[in-house]
Amino acid sequence: MAAAGSVAVALHVAEVLETIVSGCLGPEGRQVLCTKPTGEVLLSRDGGRLLKALHLEHPVARVMVACVSSHLRKTGDGAKTFIIFLCHLLRGLHEITDKEKDYFIFENIQTCGRHWKNCCQWKFISQALLTFQTQILDYIMDHYLSRHFLSIFSSCSKERTLCRSSLEMLLGAYFCGRVGRNHHNLISQLMCDYVFKCTACESRFEEVLEIVDDCFVELKVGVTGLPVSDSRIIAGLVLQRDFSVYCPADGDIRIAIVTETIQPLFSVSGSEFILNSEVQFQTSQLWITERTKAIVKHLQSQNVKLLLSTVKQPDLVIYCAGLNGISVVECLSSEELSLIQRVIGLAPFALPEASSQYELSHTALVEFCKPLILRSKRYVHLGLMSACSFTPHCVVLCGPVQGLIEQHEDALHGAFKMLRQVFKDLDLNYVTQTSDQNCTSGPCIYENSRENNELPKIVNSSIQRSYQDTVVKSKGELAKTQTNLKVCSNLIVPGVKLEKNVLCSGPKVAVTDSYQTEETLRCSSPNKGTIMDDHEPYIESNSGNSTTENTRREISYGNLQVTKLARKDSMLPLRYKSLKMCTSQRYYFSSIPAGCVLPVGGNFEILLHYYLLNYAKKCQQSEQTMVSRIIANALLGVPKILYKSKKGNYSFPQVYVRALQTLQTNQPMISNQTGLESVAGKYQLLTSVLQCLTNILTVDLVISIERQPREICDQDSEEEL
Amino acid sequence: MSRLEAKKPSICRREPLTGERAGARLAALRGLLTSCYGPAGRLKQLHNGRGGPVAATSHSAALLAGLPVSHPVLKVLTAAVRNHVACFSDGGLFTAILCCNLVENVQRLGLTPTTVIRLNKHLLSLCTRYLKSEVCACRIPVDFGSTQILLSLVRSILTSKPACMLIAKEIDHISTLILKAFLLTIPENAQEHIILGKSIIVPLKGQRVIDSAVLPGILIEVSEVQLMKILPIKKSDSFKVAVFCVSLSGDLSDTGEGTLLVSYGVSLENAALDQLFNLGKQLVSDHVDLVLCQKVIHPSLKQFLRTHQIIAVDRIGVSLMEPLSKVTATVCSLLLCNRNDTAWDELKLTCQTALHALQLTVKEPYVLLGGGCTETHLVAYIRHKTRNEPESVLRDERCSQTELQLITEAFCSALESLAGSLEHDGGEVLTDGKYGHFWSVQANLPSAVNWPDLPSRCGCGLYSSQEELSWSFLRSAHHPFPPQTCLSHEAKGSANTLTLDCFTAKLSGLQVAVETASLILDLSCVIEDTN
Repeated sequence: MAAAGSVAVALHVAEVLETIVSGCLGPEGRQVLCTKPTGEVLLSRDGGRLLKALHLEHPVARVMVACVSSHLRKTGDGAKTFIIFLCHLLRGLHEITDKEKDYFIFENIQTCGRHWKNCCQWKFISQALLTFQTQILDYIMDHYLSRHFLSIFSSCSKERTLCRSSLEMLLGAYFCGRVGRNHHNLISQLMCDYVFKCTACESRFEEVLEIVDDCFVELKVGVTGLPVSDSRIIAGLVLQRDFSVYCPADGDIRIAIVTETIQPLFSVSGSEFILNSEVQFQTSQLWITERTKAIVKHLQSQNVKLLLSTVKQPDLVIYCAGLNGISVVECLSSEELSLIQRVIGLAPFALPEASSQYELSHTALVEFCKPLILRSKRYVHLGLMSACSFTPHCVVLCGPVQGLIEQHEDALHGAFKMLRQVFKDLDLNYVTQTSDQNCTSGPCIYENSRENNELPKIVNSSIQRSYQDTVVKSKGELAKTQTNLKVCSNLIVPGVKLEKNVLCSGPKVAVTDSYQTEETLRCSSPNKGTIMDDHEPYIESNSGNSTTENTRREISYGNLQVTKLARKDSMLPLRYKSLKMCTSQRYYFSSIPAGCVLPVGGNFEILLHYYLLNYAKKCQQSEQTMVSRIIANALLGVPKILYKSKKGNYSFPQVYVRALQTLQTNQPMISNQTGLESVAGKYQLLTSVLQCLTNILTVDLVISIERQPREICDQDSEEEL
Repeated sequence: MSRLEAKKPSICRREPLTGERAGARLAALRGLLTSCYGPAGRLKQLHNGRGGPVAATSHSAALLAGLPVSHPVLKVLTAAVRNHVACFSDGGLFTAILCCNLVENVQRLGLTPTTVIRLNKHLLSLCTRYLKSEVCACRIPVDFGSTQILLSLVRSILTSKPACMLIAKEIDHISTLILKAFLLTIPENAQEHIILGKSIIVPLKGQRVIDSAVLPGILIEVSEVQLMKILPIKKSDSFKVAVFCVSLSGDLSDTGEGTLLVSYGVSLENAALDQLFNLGKQLVSDHVDLVLCQKVIHPSLKQFLRTHQIIAVDRIGVSLMEPLSKVTATVCSLLLCNRNDTAWDELKLTCQTALHALQLTVKEPYVLLGGGCTETHLVAYIRHKTRNEPESVLRDERCSQTELQLITEAFCSALESLAGSLEHDGGEVLTDGKYGHFWSVQANLPSAVNWPDLPSRCGCGLYSSQEELSWSFLRSAHHPFPPQTCLSHEAKGSANTLTLDCFTAKLSGLQVAVETASLILDLSCVIEDTN
């Protein structure tokens, strides 16, 4: 059976999903209860989990869920916003195409049926979306949005140190959307304390986050039946098992790790043990006993008070250890072992081959080792002495029901994932045109400069124009940078603006460069592009300014790829023409620096909305204008839901109008929200949604095929992974 | 083949609480639990109709374990209560009924969940802060110098479980036994870190309740024939015991992953048996009198030991091994008797609850007034507090005066109905205007009688109606008054036959009930996996 894939269908599906997830969005969001076939109940506000729990059958819905899962794997956050944003985008597209059925005219396909015509139209739009995502979005982020970014780091120096209050704000906002509203303060405070308690050296917090993210399962203990407010952090490591034998010990406690049984066995794998007489058997047993005793005795002489074993030890070993005052913990999981090894850097000790050589160097000191009883269940509590920047602490999560504890665990784990993302740089790259006026494809940086109209009609002297424009633009940018700096003390100045200063101070460099580029272009064969890397002059200028973390490289390519693209698009005469006229492009590589944040409450969305609309006004290309408009309007969907319950001065229209006014008058944005959210996360979300939309639009027909159940099963398991 | 089937889509239901069905089910559950509450509570008979065991109980753990709950919201509620009981043994019905009452009361108001949850949390913290403070008048510090309070606590717990079928005299006897058993688990020379011992409950069915007893040490079941051979034990000066946790059956233990080649004619069994006999000889030469083994002892070794007048008991089992290894420390056996199996099961559960409550009381040396007095006193305190000092709340929680009043009323009436559900026989429930305690009077009084003179003692037994007290009906509108705080000394002294509750369990139950109610009220939709 085949069904036509269309925006109307996708919109319908997305709207259904939206009604479910929008109820959980933001600080006013509510909980969802999921029941499993086993009878367990799970509480969740995690969009990804909810979408999976629905077990959707609809093909379009499955595509969406798959896209959300792959996004979550990358970032660990934003599933609900994903669905809402996608839904608004589809709504925007649907409205546009309803109004302007004949917006795109394709002469060569008029003979085909209407459905196919629509499909081609969708394909066209999806290509426009792709162009937007790869070129315009990065450009706008870099040129306009970046001036609003705040940093989570406490100082602008090269040394990154975490600022507690900003971290609290970031986590507070995160947990507002993830856990029940009567607990988010408590959980975010718990997490904040945890991060700072675990971080021995402030500047190496990233290592800590990595360890905690990797080993979170081993670092938390869930206790049901107690109120959530009893959740706490305890120093040291808690192993979720009891001692096989426990001997209280004081003073220097050394531990050793074994990965095999201490008691020698009659025969090892692949060997034979031949028994010729009963006496031989008895002697062998005696020897085994003696040897086990000797090894344990030796451990005792090395002051080992605790033996951690990954395997089950025979009764004899446990007995001997007990006699010698050595506590034993058996059956450690490989994850627990690797965590302990990471923390104390201790290798398992190898059993001596001959009975004479007892060299035992692999022991480590621990502060304490005692049983811990939580709700009548016994655990092993170890005070490890850390050899790395991670000081081990465990988080004990309490709650009346298991489902709630799982929700808090998921949220905490997700928060660590999110933090790791926040502290990563995110690359941006885009192309700008440096050619004549007629060039209409791609973002044109000169369009917004007033000089454009006043310039003499010297079409050929692009070098001169480029020079003038740069100067004018740089001046404007510089002024803005300064105002921003005055307003926000902890604002990080992105590399982009500094770059402008550089350009301003050394315009000659820029001019010669672009000149050279054009030269090479003209000279180079169409099969070969030349890369000009004028990296050095910028480094030179940047060295004086410590706030710049990323030097930006500007590379000029020959437009080999562009001409290729043009050929591909030759069925669209307009585009082909315009591309042909472009003679030069600049490839920019920039980044969103690590730790960039914006206040919550739809700040990112409103900012991007504003700049996209501005861009759309100036853009001369109809399809880009349309795409930018649709995206700009869809962006408002999230803040609309966030402000739904607010009244009066804090209602959405009021907030929106105020924001637009401040932006138009170039004043700094003032937010009444206390939380922060990651810019990189938002950016990634946007690109993921656009990719998902492209996916949906490019499919013209959904064919249901008969398959073996096993294959379907495999597919399911892949999705779950 | 079920593994290969494609998954069915789940059912998604929005606003799970607003439906009539959900409301009716919640009301049904509340009604069922309320009718079990307190000493006058009714019993529930649980059976599966197919010849399975029949249980008559009013204990929340037994009740909820057997009760089939299908509605997801109720599943959350019962799971929370069961987890609470698993932690504290006591206060399950209290938690469950309070949670039901809160959900129902708040649901009726139709306020936004945000406000409700925020204010409920505020009221809860008001309660917990008061209960933990020194001025709290419904909390009594435990004096470990006398048994009075501890005995009252145990007796209150026993009294609150009518399914134990005990008469007053028997309750006194069992209470004393439980307290004795508990005291036997406290090590003699305790240092700063006390590790409590264990009390093992041993069933003695078919005997009179009065025959129940406490013995220090462990009881190990031995067949009568064996016992006849053992008795009489002549030695009196010293008695040596050897305990084995490994098998003494002579089977070969783990020999490794390789192969073991045994030459023809070599018998490993004989070799092992030889070693067992060596062990036997060693035991004889060490003058051991009793050999206990967790696993099996080889019959030949058993025979050998018997011929040397050593008593051998095997198959002790792992459950007895742990107390056995502590036998030199503090272990005692509580021999319990009751009229029938059902009543014995309930009594055992109640004894465990009481022992647990005593342990918790040692950790946190306070008890709360029982018999509904704590609840009514708290209500008076909250009403007074929110009426007289609402400014800080209104500022902090960003809500209106009306909202605060509505939620406070819902919270207080939830506590009041909880206290009121102690009365099952149609009597009237009153509260006084001085202490805010709970007083109940008989139903169907002749109109001529001046009813306020009738209640002689309050629910917990702390106050008598000798004083001039003003009365009002519980759950009727009345003026908020400041309840007398700080328990007077004479009141503490007169604690002869008080009804008391475990402090830790009740406080945690209160918190769990409010948290769970908030959780349930916060649900926007339910996704049911139908696979």
